[in-house]
Amino acid sequence: MAIRRIEVREKVMARNDELAVEVRERLASAGVPCFNLVSSPGSGKTALLERTLLELGDEIRIAVVTGDVQTENDAERLSRYTDRLVQAVVTNGACHMDARQILAALDEVDLAETDLLIVENVGNLVCPASWDLGETAKIVIFSVTEGEDKPLKYPRMFERSDHVVLSKVDLLPYLPFDPDQAIEYARRVNPELEFFLTSSLTGEGMEDWYGFLRRQARSGHGVPA
Amino acid sequence: MHELSLAMDVCRITEENVGTSALGRVTEVGLEVGDRSGVEFGTFEFCLESLLSSPPFRDARARIERTPGDELRVTYVEVEDGDPSD
Repeated sequence: MAIRRIEVREKVMARNDELAVEVRERLASAGVPCFNLVSSPGSGKTALLERTLLELGDEIRIAVVTGDVQTENDAERLSRYTDRLVQAVVTNGACHMDARQILAALDEVDLAETDLLIVENVGNLVCPASWDLGETAKIVIFSVTEGEDKPLKYPRMFERSDHVVLSKVDLLPYLPFDPDQAIEYARRVNPELEFFLTSSLTGEGMEDWYGFLRRQARSGHGVPA
Repeated sequence: MHELSLAMDVCRITEENVGTSALGRVTEVGLEVGDRSGVEFGTFEFCLESLLSSPPFRDARARIERTPGDELRVTYVEVEDGDPSD
């Protein structure tokens, strides 16, 4: 009995990666950067975006796609702060978004009239790290009500991100959370990480965050590689 | 991370490369699992063993090579060429 070997050398994630390349190309040719916001559930992604749309939405044309296992609650909340279409992806069980969903969402976005695309991913610090959506960069939201060692516990997500928004800083007087320790842990995992310390409630730190978004939207090519 | 759905994707890739009718004659599927791929090795191995020993497969085995990096790939498929009724 002869055994015949067939060489394959195919990446298992190849299908998603191909679609992610297509997303990336469409965004690049339109000059629109895309940020993939990732976090644990409840870290404040939607609140950050609500305030961002309210305060920056007239200046920068921001398109948003949200992802959730169930409900369109986040998209409904965000739609109160923008006249632009907010698209909701309901995954019905999948704990991450994938490039196919972003590609489909792009069909409903007029990229010529858009300065920035933000994806609010499913609240999950594990799986989204492995699913390339074709984004320019991932941004981790991590709140002061979580542990300082979050980056050590979820290193892949922090390694694959360029920026961290440390959220809910208005609560710092009531918590033992040490922001310097959190930053130190995060930079242990990824020395290049840049931080924004923000409160969506009080507005603290939001100007730095807006400055970053303004630079990205104006440059039209996102974070340098 | 989704080891079962990844194992099912391995089966799909295998089928795409050998054809549906040859799946019962697959003897071995070679894989590379990167140590930074986020794949839990033991769970993945278990899922593959379960799928490759059930129809449409017949006692195929997975040969997994651990590699540096974050890739997960199917590297080869071995098929028995002979009388399928043996």
